[in-house]
Amino acid sequence: MPHINIKKGHNLRISGTPDKNIVEINNFETVAILPTDFKGVKPKLIIKEGEEVKIGSPLFFDKMNPDIKWGSPASGTVKSIEYGRRRIIQKIEISLNDNQDQIEKQKYNNSDIISLGRQEALNIILGANIFPMFRQRPFNTIPDPSIIPRDIFVSAINTAPLSVDLEVVMENENQSFQAGIDALNTITSGKVYLTTKPKSILSSIQNVELNTISGPHPAGNIGIQIHHIAHLKPGQSVWTINAQDVIAIGKLFLNGIYDPTRVITLAGPCVRDPGHFRVMTGAKISSIIGDRLTQDKSRIISGDILTGRTSSADDYLSFYDYTVSVISDQVRREFVGMLNPGSSKNRYSLTPVFFSFGKILFPFNTAQNGSHRAIVPISAWERVLPMDILPNELYRSILAEDIDEMEKLGLIECDDEDFALCSFSCPSKTDVSGVIRRGLEMLRAEG
Amino acid sequence: MNWLLEFLLKIKPNFEEGEKLHWLYPVYEATETILFSTDERTSTAPHIRDSIDIKRVMILVVVSLIPCYVFGAMNVGYQNAQALGIERTWIENLFYGAKVILPIIAITFITGGLWEILFSIVRKHEVSEGFLVTCALIPLTMPPSIPLWQLSIATTFGIVIGKEIFGGVGMNIFNPALVARAFIFFSYPSKISGDTVWLVGPDGYSGATALSIPASINSADAVVLLDGVTQFDYSWLNLAYGWIPGSVGETNKFIILIAALALMLMRLISWRVILGGVSGLFAMSYIGMLISPYSDNSMLSIPPHYHLVMGSFAFGLTFMATEPVTGSHTDTGRLIYGFFIGVLTVIIRSINPAYPEGVMLAILLMNAFASLIDYFVIKVNINRRLRRYAQ
Repeated sequence: MPHINIKKGHNLRISGTPDKNIVEINNFETVAILPTDFKGVKPKLIIKEGEEVKIGSPLFFDKMNPDIKWGSPASGTVKSIEYGRRRIIQKIEISLNDNQDQIEKQKYNNSDIISLGRQEALNIILGANIFPMFRQRPFNTIPDPSIIPRDIFVSAINTAPLSVDLEVVMENENQSFQAGIDALNTITSGKVYLTTKPKSILSSIQNVELNTISGPHPAGNIGIQIHHIAHLKPGQSVWTINAQDVIAIGKLFLNGIYDPTRVITLAGPCVRDPGHFRVMTGAKISSIIGDRLTQDKSRIISGDILTGRTSSADDYLSFYDYTVSVISDQVRREFVGMLNPGSSKNRYSLTPVFFSFGKILFPFNTAQNGSHRAIVPISAWERVLPMDILPNELYRSILAEDIDEMEKLGLIECDDEDFALCSFSCPSKTDVSGVIRRGLEMLRAEG
Repeated sequence: MNWLLEFLLKIKPNFEEGEKLHWLYPVYEATETILFSTDERTSTAPHIRDSIDIKRVMILVVVSLIPCYVFGAMNVGYQNAQALGIERTWIENLFYGAKVILPIIAITFITGGLWEILFSIVRKHEVSEGFLVTCALIPLTMPPSIPLWQLSIATTFGIVIGKEIFGGVGMNIFNPALVARAFIFFSYPSKISGDTVWLVGPDGYSGATALSIPASINSADAVVLLDGVTQFDYSWLNLAYGWIPGSVGETNKFIILIAALALMLMRLISWRVILGGVSGLFAMSYIGMLISPYSDNSMLSIPPHYHLVMGSFAFGLTFMATEPVTGSHTDTGRLIYGFFIGVLTVIIRSINPAYPEGVMLAILLMNAFASLIDYFVIKVNINRRLRRYAQ
C-alpha cells in the first residue's frame, strides 16, 4: 500500500491532551441541530414547535435540493426554533424524552450491500435523513446527490490538535466500518480511498484503496490527502465523509437504524481530566463539560482550536465537530514582552530559538501575541502548508478578487482548514484561512 | 511594573478619537506596545497564535547586529592607532571607536525615528518596528569618517524615498538602508566612492582598499598583489578577521557568519538567498578566473574564496539581500534572486572600472528584478498545475 510522508506542517504542543478511554455521557436533556453549520444550504422546516419526533425523523430540508433532509439526532419534542436576522433558522432544539424511539428500516448483510445499485443505496441514506454527512470538494459543501462523485475519500487519521484518536474509536467497530465502506463503494463510480496511519487496526478493511500517511498536522486533513493521492481537477467533484460517519452508515445498513452517537474529545489546557466521550450529535456543551472546567475566564470552542467556532456552555456541538476545546481567555501584559525570547511556561514559537523544548506541552491561550501588520514574507506560511500551492500569491490574488488567477493558482484544491496553520504561524497576524474562505465563496458564486 | 501600565492606561483616554492629543496616538500606541506586550486576543479561528510577531522579528535582527557594532568600534580604534603609529589595548580601541560611532548611531536613530513618527502621525498608521532594523543597519554600512549631516540626509532619503512613500514596511520595493547608502554613494562620492580606505586617521592619511588594488593595476595576479601590500594586512585570513579599514560593521566575516547562522536557525532569514548568493559569487568568480589569462584585467584573477571575504559581500548578503519584503517572495525565486546577487557582485567588481565594490548595486538591482523572478516562478507553478489538470 502506498505511503505518503508529509514533511511540512506542525504539531502543536498544546497541553490538556485527551485520555484514551471512551466515557459514555447519557444525561442529555436537550440536543440541537444548527442549520448554520451547513454552507450554502437554504433550510425549510418540516416540523413545528412542540411536535414529537423520533431519532431520524426529518426536521428540515434544503430548498435548493429537497431530497436532502436532516434527521433528528434524538427522540423527543421540538422545544424551540430560533431565527436570526432575515428569519434565517439558527437553531432547532429538541428536548429528549425517556425512551429513545427509532425509525426502523430494512436490514442488509454485508454481501447484500455490495450488490445494491447506486440509486438504491443512495435512497437508503437519503431516506434515513443522514445524507448531510457527505461533503464534497471543491468548496466543502453538501454535494448534489444526483451527481456521481469521481471518488470518495475517508480519512481515518486525525492530526488536528486535541482531536479524536480514531484508532480508539475503531477498536470494536470494524464490522460496521466495513459495511459503511461497502455502501460507499456502490455510490461512486470511482474508488473509495481510505487513509490511515501506518500499522492501523483498519489495515484489514477490504474494497478500498488503502493509503498510509505520516507526518505533522495537517497530514490528517482530507484536503491534503486528496491533493497527494488523486488531486482534484476543475469540473470534478469528490465526496468526503468522516470515518465515524462511515460507521453510522454501516450501522444503518446492518441494523436498519440511525445511531446518532459519536465519540468526541473534550480537551485543552482549561479542562480537568480531558478525555474521549461518547455523546449525541448536537449535544449541549454544558452537558458535555459538566464540572470539568478549571478556570472561569476561558473560551469554549466547538471544534479544534485551529478551525473551530467560538461557543459557550449554553451552545450546542456543531454537526461536523468532534472536539470541544477549552483554552484560557486571560491574556497577561508582559513588561517589555518583545524582548523575552521565550520560556517553558507561557511562550512558544515556531521559531525554535535557542531552546530545545523537548516534550513540554504549553497551555496556549487566546492571546494574539502581537498586532496586525503588513505581510513580511519570511516563509512562515510555506513551512506549514504541505501542498504544491503558493500561499502568498494565492492570498494576493484573492485580495485582488482575480478569479481567473485564483483558479490557476489551485484554489479549488484548497479549503480554509488547510490554511489554519498559516494563520497560526504568521508573524503579521494575517487571517490567511479567512481570506481563503472568502476566495472559495467568490469562486462558488461565480459557478 | 504594574504602576507603569496603570499610568499608561490612565493617560490613554487623552489620545482617543476626538480628544486634543489624538494626533499623537501613534506615539502613545508605540510607547505602550514597546513597553508592554499587547493584550489583543484572537477573534476567529485559529483561536491561538504563535508568539512570533513583527516586533520580535525586527528586534531579533537588531540584536544579531550588536556584535557587528562591538567589533566595528574596536576596529575603528585599531585602524586609527595603526594610522597614527601608536599602540593601544583593545579596550582603548573599543572606547575610541565607540566615541566615533555612537554619534553616527544616535544621528541615524534620531533622524529615522522622527521621520517614522511624522509619517505615522500624518498617515495615521501605527509606528512600524521596521525602522529599527533600517536605522540599525545604516551606521554599519557607513565609513566611520562620514560627516554627520550627510548621514542625516541619507537616512532621511532612505526612510522617506526608500520606504514611506510606498506605504511603509511591507510595501517598499528597495531596501531602505541600501537606498540611504546609495544616496550617499552617488551624492558625495568624494567621501564614499570606495577607491581609498575609510578610517578615522590623521589628515591626508590614505591608502588603497583590497578591492581597488587589483582594479588599478593591469595584468597581474590579484592574490600576489594583495600579499605585496605593506600598509595593511590583506591576507585572506585577515580579510576574514576584519582588521582592515572599511565600513563600520562589515569587516569581520566570522561575526557575520555567526549572525547569519543564528538568523537562519531562527528562520528569520532565508537560507536559500544565502546559498544562492554564495554559489553565484563562486560560479561567476570561477568563470572570471578561467578567462583571466586572456585578459589584462587583474580583478578577474581574484579567486572565489577571496571574493567572499573582500568588500561587504558577506554583510550585504546576510542582512540586506535577505530582507524578505524587497527580495523574491517565493522559495524558488529566492535561490535565483540570491544567485544573481552573487553573479552581479562579481561582474560589477571585475568589469566596471568606476566602482570597485559591487554588492550594494547588485542587491538594489536585484530588488528591482525580484518581482520579475517571482512572476516566472508563479508561471512555472501554474503551468505545472495546468499540465496536471490536463492528464
